[in-house]
Amino acid sequence: MELLKMSNISKSFFGVQVLSNVNLTINKGEVHALLGENGAGKSTLMNILAGVYTRDSGSIIFDGKELIHTTIKEAEDIGIGFVHQELNIFNDLKVYENIFLGKELINGFRKLEKKAMINETRDLMQSLGVDIDPLELAGHLDTSKKQLLEIAKVLHSNAKLIILDEPTTALNNEEIKKLFGIIKHLKKQGKSFIFISHKMPEIFQISDRYTVLRNGSFIKCQDIKHTNPEEITRYMVGESYNSESMYETRALGEVVLELKNLSGEGFSNINLSVKKGEIIGLTGLQGAGCSEVIQTIFGVMRAKSGEIKVHGKVVTQNDIQTAMKNKIAMVAANRKENSIIPDMSLLENIYISEHVLNYKKQHIVKQREINKYTRLKELLNIKANHYGDAITSLSGGNQQKVILARWLNTKADIILFDNPTQGIDVGAKSEIYKLILELSKEGKTVIMNTLEIPEIQKIADRCIVFYHGGIEVELHRNEINEENVMLHATHAVHTRLNEKEEENDRD
Amino acid sequence: MTEIKLESRKAHHQVNIKKLWNECNYILIFLVIFIVFLIINGSETSWTSITNILLHSSIIGSIAIGMGLVILTDGIDLSVGSMFVFVGGLTILFYNITGSILLTLICALVIGGICGGINGILVGKCKMPPFIVTLSTMLIFRSISQYMMNEMGETRYRIEASMASYTALFEFGNGNVFTIPNLAWVFLFIVLAAIYMTTNMKFGKNIYAVGSNERAAKLAGINVEWVRIKAFAICGALVGIAAFLKIAKDTSFDPATSGMNFELYAIASVVIGGISMSGGKGKVVGIMFGAMAFTIIDKIITALGMNALLNDTVKGIILLIAVGIQMIQKRSSK
Repeated sequence: MELLKMSNISKSFFGVQVLSNVNLTINKGEVHALLGENGAGKSTLMNILAGVYTRDSGSIIFDGKELIHTTIKEAEDIGIGFVHQELNIFNDLKVYENIFLGKELINGFRKLEKKAMINETRDLMQSLGVDIDPLELAGHLDTSKKQLLEIAKVLHSNAKLIILDEPTTALNNEEIKKLFGIIKHLKKQGKSFIFISHKMPEIFQISDRYTVLRNGSFIKCQDIKHTNPEEITRYMVGESYNSESMYETRALGEVVLELKNLSGEGFSNINLSVKKGEIIGLTGLQGAGCSEVIQTIFGVMRAKSGEIKVHGKVVTQNDIQTAMKNKIAMVAANRKENSIIPDMSLLENIYISEHVLNYKKQHIVKQREINKYTRLKELLNIKANHYGDAITSLSGGNQQKVILARWLNTKADIILFDNPTQGIDVGAKSEIYKLILELSKEGKTVIMNTLEIPEIQKIADRCIVFYHGGIEVELHRNEINEENVMLHATHAVHTRLNEKEEENDRD
Repeated sequence: MTEIKLESRKAHHQVNIKKLWNECNYILIFLVIFIVFLIINGSETSWTSITNILLHSSIIGSIAIGMGLVILTDGIDLSVGSMFVFVGGLTILFYNITGSILLTLICALVIGGICGGINGILVGKCKMPPFIVTLSTMLIFRSISQYMMNEMGETRYRIEASMASYTALFEFGNGNVFTIPNLAWVFLFIVLAAIYMTTNMKFGKNIYAVGSNERAAKLAGINVEWVRIKAFAICGALVGIAAFLKIAKDTSFDPATSGMNFELYAIASVVIGGISMSGGKGKVVGIMFGAMAFTIIDKIITALGMNALLNDTVKGIILLIAVGIQMIQKRSSK
């Protein structure tokens, strides 16, 4: 029986088509995997379903009723629950207050029925088999429990269809197992799930059917039994997919950056040496420590112990200005918060860091800056009209190029990238990969932290996989693949070994 | 194809007009008030009455420029009025001892710079909220000024008329060059220097960057702490110059009433000048027009023979209108 039928959904933002004639059908009591690369249109489609965006055309039939101009609240009320990738938990409220937020139980005197709410929360958690105290402050829960709280919240509002947007990124294997148990349990009760994930093993473990989107178009919908990961990947990336096309082997130079027993906030005892011209990918689950290592090299965060050596010299002062003098640059994660200076023009956004290095000469020679801007704009193929335009008027990919231009302008040798392709479209992404490869050919050293393994596959010489603040394994280019990386990133290799040992012990 | 091009060009034009209007509305507000002034004054309008606008804007205007720099970094300085009295009082005492005009000017600059620097260190280094820090120093500066006066058994800080350079100082404070008052020249010089600093100097651009997105500014390598400290210190130094101008013009300071509400007038001038209270946006030249608009309101009220106590009512209403216009623009541009 069909619970949801979305047909011919189209949507464009500012003249850019992000969805064109997409279809999605969900049956009652199934787990449906929604697949596609970042930027394929999955989240836009889900946001349309949940009433966050309005569609340009197409129809949605949910539970036998056609939905027209649904608001977020209405979507919730008719039984569509959305568990976002970024958790929407109020840390300063208690667990039960989070569950009942906006639909508090009150008595005749408009007083809160706290006891009833607490009990109901307790029952809900018990039915899910989750050990969360209703009176606990939500901020005190760890990420996995917050995730479960979010799911509980959605279930409590009697959702018939639950959208899970990459729910396992922050979970370890044990927790994933538990989550899947809960999903299977709820499935039996007739709840349906849309499951968005990039992790193939999980998809095959939990889902019944799948739908693939690519560049905003519907590609394929099928039973999961009739396919294999290779086929799905081909659907996702299309014919043009060729990971080797851009990469070339290069001759590497001497060691330019060395970390020795480096420890800091969120990581410890990191040893790593990087050669001139090398591209290194750091990866791991969220919170594994990659981003922290990068930020510590750049001096944003302080090292607790150990040393950083740049060009053979030990860095004694761990701050951003010193890192910049040592010709290190960092393209930070979360472009909007950490990189963009919204009230400044393109030109100003590009010259601001170079001026830090040349601070003594205070006068700005505008023509010289414009010349530099023009050169960088051509080099990076930045699509912009005028140097005086606001940086916020550019697309995400071009904004990121402006930030990269800011750092190339400082003539840095070592460029650190923290999640550089976050929120930019597929085309701009591959342009950025190409740029990184070109930079490395010119002798720039690149260290890139990313959660997307295909990205590392495309450009990296080596991949360092982190787990819980330490280096789990170092993979060479030919060993980098999604499964292998995930096995180490989730510590699954060791879990398997331990299980085997336990079995052996029993024998 | 050509149609599309035309369309886009038209859109571009509209964007430009909107941009121009957004960036220059401070002149419009000033012009409206100025024209009202000219109409009311009628035939009595003279060159002097116009240069007087500049003269009477010079002291509060200099302070407002400093305030503007602080607000551009997303800070605020509530202590400028009290600091004005505090620096003025100490500077008068210093003059009465040394009798040197130049040293007195340097003294005003240095004491002002130190007072502002203290605010800056508390805000920049110690990460205390600027509102609270400068609220505290506002109380402290005025209280000390009044206490010192009280201890000396007097009611006003007054420069000794017996000093050899007294006449020279007084003449500087009340004289003209090319029919424009000296104080107005000083003010214009400060405005030009501030415009140069904010448009052509690296430090000036850092002020905007810090106010626009502090985190991004820090990650771009800017020493955010120093930028904040310097902005407050420059604001203090400008308060010092303003105090010096006031000494030259009026020869005395009343610790209880001088500089009263100056922080509010300065903030108002900055806001009317089109600078965003959340920092990072706006032009320093606007502050000059903002300060002059306020001075003209005083003059209009005097010319109309209205009760001077209504001054602040009119100023308050003008401020609300100015902010209202800016809000409407903001909403329409979104």
